[in-house]
Amino acid sequence: MSPDWNDPVAWAVFAPAMALLGALINGLFGRRLREPLPGVLASLAVGGAFVLALIAFFGLLGREAGVAVELWPFLPVAGLDLSIGFVVDALAATFMLVITGVGLAIHVYSIGYMHADDGYARYFALLNLFVAAMLVLVLADSLVLLFIGWEGVGVCSYLLIGFWYRQTANADAGRKAFIVNRIGDAGFLLASFLVAATFGTLTIAEVNAAAGTYAFGAGVLGSIGLLYLVAATGKSAQLPLHVWLPDAMAGPTPVSALIHAATMVTAGVYLIARLSPLYAMTPEASAVVAWVGALTALVAAIAATGQTDVKRVLAYSTVSQLGFMFVAVGAGAYSAAVFHVVTHAFFKGLLFLGSGSVIHAMSGEQDVRRMGGLGKRMRTTGTTALIGTLAIAGVPLLSGFFSKDAILAGAWSSTLLADYGGKALFAVLLATAALTAFYMFRWYYLVFAGGARGDARVHAKVHESPPSMTLPLVVLAVLAVVGGYVGLPAFAFPNAIDPWLAPALAEIHLDHPALWLEWLLVAASVLAAGLGLAAGWWVYERGKGALASRIGAGPLGRAARAGLGFDALYRAAVVGPVEGVAGGLAIGDRDLLDKGIGAGVTSATWLGRLVAVWQSGHVRLYALAMLLGLAAIVVAIAATVANVGGRA
Amino acid sequence: MIAAAIVLVPLAVAVALLLAPRRAVHLPLAVLGVVATLVLALFADGPAGRLDVPWIPTIGAWIALDATGAGGALLRVAALVMLPTVLWAALRVDRHAHRFLAALLATLAGVAGIFLARDLVLFYVFWDLTLLPGLALLGGWGLAHRRAALVKYLMYAVAGSFVMLLALLALRPLSGAAGYRFEELLAATPQLDPLTQAWLFGAFMFAFAVKLPIFPLHAWLVDVNEQNHPSGAADVAGTLYKLGGFGLFAWALPLLPDGATLLAPLGLALGAFTAVYAMAIATRHTHLKRVLAYFSISHMGIVAVGLFSLHLAGQSGAMALLAAQMVTTSGLFLVAGMLHARRGSFELDAFGGLAKAAPAFAAVSLLVLFGGIGVPGLANFPGEFLAVLGAFAASPLAATLAVMAAIGAGAFGVNLFQRLFQGEAKGAPTRDLSPLEVAVLVPIVAATLWLGIAPAANLTAFEAEAAAGLAAAPPPVVLELAEGGAR
Repeated sequence: MSPDWNDPVAWAVFAPAMALLGALINGLFGRRLREPLPGVLASLAVGGAFVLALIAFFGLLGREAGVAVELWPFLPVAGLDLSIGFVVDALAATFMLVITGVGLAIHVYSIGYMHADDGYARYFALLNLFVAAMLVLVLADSLVLLFIGWEGVGVCSYLLIGFWYRQTANADAGRKAFIVNRIGDAGFLLASFLVAATFGTLTIAEVNAAAGTYAFGAGVLGSIGLLYLVAATGKSAQLPLHVWLPDAMAGPTPVSALIHAATMVTAGVYLIARLSPLYAMTPEASAVVAWVGALTALVAAIAATGQTDVKRVLAYSTVSQLGFMFVAVGAGAYSAAVFHVVTHAFFKGLLFLGSGSVIHAMSGEQDVRRMGGLGKRMRTTGTTALIGTLAIAGVPLLSGFFSKDAILAGAWSSTLLADYGGKALFAVLLATAALTAFYMFRWYYLVFAGGARGDARVHAKVHESPPSMTLPLVVLAVLAVVGGYVGLPAFAFPNAIDPWLAPALAEIHLDHPALWLEWLLVAASVLAAGLGLAAGWWVYERGKGALASRIGAGPLGRAARAGLGFDALYRAAVVGPVEGVAGGLAIGDRDLLDKGIGAGVTSATWLGRLVAVWQSGHVRLYALAMLLGLAAIVVAIAATVANVGGRA
Repeated sequence: MIAAAIVLVPLAVAVALLLAPRRAVHLPLAVLGVVATLVLALFADGPAGRLDVPWIPTIGAWIALDATGAGGALLRVAALVMLPTVLWAALRVDRHAHRFLAALLATLAGVAGIFLARDLVLFYVFWDLTLLPGLALLGGWGLAHRRAALVKYLMYAVAGSFVMLLALLALRPLSGAAGYRFEELLAATPQLDPLTQAWLFGAFMFAFAVKLPIFPLHAWLVDVNEQNHPSGAADVAGTLYKLGGFGLFAWALPLLPDGATLLAPLGLALGAFTAVYAMAIATRHTHLKRVLAYFSISHMGIVAVGLFSLHLAGQSGAMALLAAQMVTTSGLFLVAGMLHARRGSFELDAFGGLAKAAPAFAAVSLLVLFGGIGVPGLANFPGEFLAVLGAFAASPLAATLAVMAAIGAGAFGVNLFQRLFQGEAKGAPTRDLSPLEVAVLVPIVAATLWLGIAPAANLTAFEAEAAAGLAAAPPPVVLELAEGGAR
């Protein structure tokens, strides 16, 4: 089927190509271009992609079906017939708008932020490459192409976290992100193999259609859902694979805004929304999705209260907000999840760019304990940051309020989770919402309010950032205010986003409560936000920090600061043992296979040597362990192969 | 006729290189030989790509060559890789460079013969003869401990070849095949009783496992790579000659389907175990060439997993991975040679922070390395994905182990990159890529991208041959995938 290029919606497939072109130009020739030309070129590339996204968006308005474009064959094997092909529909177009729109603001911001950096062109090449990969991810028509984008954004994330690679800590953080994501990717691969074995296809539309023909709650759908959830927890930094995201703050701040807040980390949410017809058929897997999200939201919010790095607070906040989105997709409130992706991109992108502006002004200082009072010196940054803070805290009439509310309502009324504690999920999220208001008040207060702490010389030099940086702040602040009005509560107001996304998502029956209860739920969420803000005021303004330091010294404070100890646990329970086993294998391979058999066959008295090697104690042990392990694998595989054979 | 030329042209050029007196003609001659081979392979289409003439009628051996199928596709990749290798070798080898180049060309000729042979006796002859240039490269230009490595290599190779020879000699009398051509054998050998097939298949499997190589027959490779000439060019020749996977795919699996079915679980287990085992060990070594050797052994585990899945996607993917790792593993050996040219060492501790002074070198190395660890969009991914997808249909456990190897490969890749290129610059200042080094790496980079983005043409060729082979067998899992949707 050759694509219909007369349909402007189909042009959207050139958006990734545009970003890729920008990446190529900057990657190959960027070092010969003078600042700010690489930044301008990169911004133009993303701007062009944004225009294509707008064309696709307006072209799709009032249309049900998406537009499919197949470009060239990719894996034409064993009946899979996979192509490099894209589908432009409401879900893809929404993500495209966020990726290219917020992306454009962040590219422009970076022109000033990365000023005079050694790797100026490399930075913009990677940022463009990221946009290209992210667009491939959301436009892909098959799970394999989606995976190409999925790993592509991971590679860019790795390279941008370790952008200042000469410091070991940065390179380590990039490595950690890559390896933890690879663990998640293992889930993606196994899930895709199971999909291929079950449905005989990896094309998303066909998979979704086939899943619909299975019995509700079929075991294989649950297995697929859980395996893709593993992948989603990696990419979207959910428990237990969330540990890479706080460290990812080692990258330049605009990168944190674009990749580690607005776009890439929402890929897990996108994946589940994209496969919503499958997840809608498996309440078990959906419940696990929701509970992983809820626990992550709570745990990360607690951790956020103890962080002292201006960006790490926001990183844990992102993990927590992504948890909200996971609850939404788990509850079957797919449109609410996408809605929150959009508003979160606005206010969290804004908050990160704001902290970038602060770090810029504070000569690189990132510790909130040495900040304070910056709002007076940096009017635009301070005001926009306040808007972002109130939006994420869930203050009524700002964007975060509406999208968070949609999620809370979804958790309460989901029929998918009725047997799996939907009401309890609501309660956890409500508590998390209060915590969110609290830690964000703390963040804003410590950075922008009160008096200046720390080095007076640093504070004396504080200045507002240049217009190329403040303009994106203003744009995002406006969006953080008005962005929520596309998704007003549907029980009382006109709602635009639900019907727009409906053709691309599965529909779950929601058990709507009575109207008075709906209003009561809204009131509860307003109350939670108010309580959180009030508690923040109480602890930091009224208590002048004395209360804060008392709590911080206690066990809860220590745990929060350490992110509840996940890193130490993984080092002891996973990294250490794996390295130990690998080291053991290396020794065994050398002593037994190489010196034993290997050198043995070349030696005249090889039998004698073999016996001698065998008799040294540890070699015997290795050999025994290795052979037993291998024998176990052979037996297990032989058994499963026989099983598969018997089934067919 | 083209089919014969593909083998004879590089051989003739190798001989000419040995005889050519003037230094100035060595490199142009070698490059011309490789380019000619590549061009011939590209145009070997239709009847001209095949040859079929009697050779030794008394034993039923023919000079049967076919460049139009899977072997032709693999040969094109091998010839493409040989091009930069010849260039680099001419640059880095000081002593008797023309003989070194002759050995490379002879390897190409031998590899071409292995790929194109459609007669088992002819295949066997090429298989064994190709050992000679490899031994010459190691013995003539290797490092101080080359003798021990060479003897070890020879012992393993001879043991494998001997066992294969026994099976080959038994194959025709036992099956009553009319000759040793593939079609003649295929008409007879699948009818052998399963137990006989299992014995014969086991013999082939042993021989090919040595040359994949997979656990526990891999020990020779690590020493050979370590002791080879530091340019890395000899390691490329060795990489192109690691064709145990192709031997299984083209001969043992289709000819002895019942034997394959019986021994497939063992093959799956050994392959999956090798993938994880070698990757784990690769992370613990500090000598760059030994590291790369284990890394490539891990790939061979995945190749084996795909082949022994007895699944269409798995076997096609295994061949795609074989082709891709020729590019990426060879590319990494060339990168290792360039690193050695800068620091005079392969110890990882000698490196660090090179990206500052050599950003282009870092970028290209990263691309090839990521191609090697199976990052989607680059060379190894399509083959790896399909190989393990096939394995999953046969045994989810084997596939899970293979996926664990993929996690390990990711960790391996970023760890290695950090030790070589990131951090503060260590030691004397270094230089970025020279124009000649760029010329060496361009084909590698292009192929890494091309095989990753557009693997379809090769896959179609592999699938056609895999389907023909699997059609002879009644294994239960085959084609289940294609029918899976019908439920």
